[in-house]
Amino acid sequence: MTATVDAPLSSRSRGPVARYLRALWLLTTRDLKVRYSTSFLGYLWSVLDPLLMAGIYWFVFVLVFQRDVGEEPYIVFLLSGLLPWMWFSGAISDSTRAFTREAKLIRSTTIPRTIWVAQLVLAKGLEFGFSLPVLALFAILGGAHLTWSAPLFLLAILVQAVLTLGLGLIVAPLVVFFRDLERAVKLLLRFLFYASPIIYGLTDLEHLGLETVGAFNPLAGIFSMYRGAFFADQVDPFAIAVSAGLALLALGIGLLVFRRTIRSVLKAI
Amino acid sequence: MAIDQHAARAADPALGPVISVRGLGIRFRRNRTARRDFKDLFAGRHRRTLPGEFWALRDVSFDVQPGEAIGVVGRNGQGKSTLLKLVAQVLLPDEGEVHVAAGVAPLIEITGGFVNDLTVRENVYLTAGLHGMTRAEIDARYDEMIAFAELEEFQNTPYKHLSSGMKVRIAFAVVSRLEEPILLVDEVLAVGDKAFRDKCYRRIDELLAGGRTLFFVSHSDRDLRRFCRRGLYLDRGELLLDGPIDEVLARYDADHGPE
Repeated sequence: MTATVDAPLSSRSRGPVARYLRALWLLTTRDLKVRYSTSFLGYLWSVLDPLLMAGIYWFVFVLVFQRDVGEEPYIVFLLSGLLPWMWFSGAISDSTRAFTREAKLIRSTTIPRTIWVAQLVLAKGLEFGFSLPVLALFAILGGAHLTWSAPLFLLAILVQAVLTLGLGLIVAPLVVFFRDLERAVKLLLRFLFYASPIIYGLTDLEHLGLETVGAFNPLAGIFSMYRGAFFADQVDPFAIAVSAGLALLALGIGLLVFRRTIRSVLKAI
Repeated sequence: MAIDQHAARAADPALGPVISVRGLGIRFRRNRTARRDFKDLFAGRHRRTLPGEFWALRDVSFDVQPGEAIGVVGRNGQGKSTLLKLVAQVLLPDEGEVHVAAGVAPLIEITGGFVNDLTVRENVYLTAGLHGMTRAEIDARYDEMIAFAELEEFQNTPYKHLSSGMKVRIAFAVVSRLEEPILLVDEVLAVGDKAFRDKCYRRIDELLAGGRTLFFVSHSDRDLRRFCRRGLYLDRGELLLDGPIDEVLARYDADHGPE
């Protein structure tokens, strides 16, 4: 009998937080690696998609409709809502497949299971980060200047991450039992795109008297923070407070739903 | 040869059980019903059996001491794999408790974490990392894993281009190198050619000699006798017998006829 068996590894003495973050990082980079190694354009896709969409909206709303919403330069105004929207909608629609996509891995490893949702939020968040140079480029070309409220941009990222994770934790386990939810979520996202201040601003709802109602869309406050970086009068403290509160509420409910349903989810996948 | 060593370290009661299972029960739905109401979904743990559900395991209790090698015996669908998954904690029980005091190397669906579009090298780092190894630890063992799987020529080949035998080889090489104190094996060894199977068996012998605890599900009497001293006989979700492996196999044969 050979004596090649080493002493048990020391890694188990590392804290659970370190293990969680490492597994989260491994899974997220795995997906990016797969995406970039299998497609020729790789990184460009994370930029091309929002660029093309922005081009379309610019054509429709600036050239065709003679837009009277938003601010100048409109392309910066649009992108500062559109890019975070793509993070949000991408992560939520991916989380409808969080468990089915990874079923084999979930059945064979004991990684903390919220990771299966968190990795999707992080992956789309990184893509959002990669697309920010495009926003910076247009801000420079269009002559938009950073305002005093630019640091709100970072707070917006944090609030959006919390909100998206919370909603993902609710959606992911429920889809396992109610398959219809997958399509319902897609429909809801399409509705939410127009119901959120992306192609317009929250202030544009004023003459409809919908400003207060609109502020209860948690995305309104988040986008108002992103936009505050370039357009100071887009910052709406009330909407921001509402969205921060709703984001924490979503995370709380998400963790609760996830904890209560995970036993059944593991049996079903 | 390996047997003597098993005997030498089989019982070390001073350390306490490494796996402790108490009143374990889990139930599944018999058929996939289209309707499922929220109340049912959020009910969590309750003892009541709902219509259309059955207990895959119930009232199962046993302890495993460090260094023991245990074989689980039973016909198909009697809860063997479910028990293994509960010990691996990839399933959660509806009643009772499972305590596992040490790290687990689960040889269950071992190819599960491998990604088709990544290379063998990337997959080794990914899978070993997900099972809790640090980068430095993987660096130190990487060559050994590749050598064990005999894939020196294929390190930069996309995983999807490997043959199915190669896939199992690299997966076994990684998971069996995890160096965790507990090894869970679920018939993975039934695949691969004979030469590689022998190699896997030698690897398990080595791990056992190094003091690992083995929890083994198999239909092969030969394998069970080779590795295990103690057996658990499961039938219809019940633990019928917990004793020396020869006794357990004799009882199983008596109940179901020799295979």
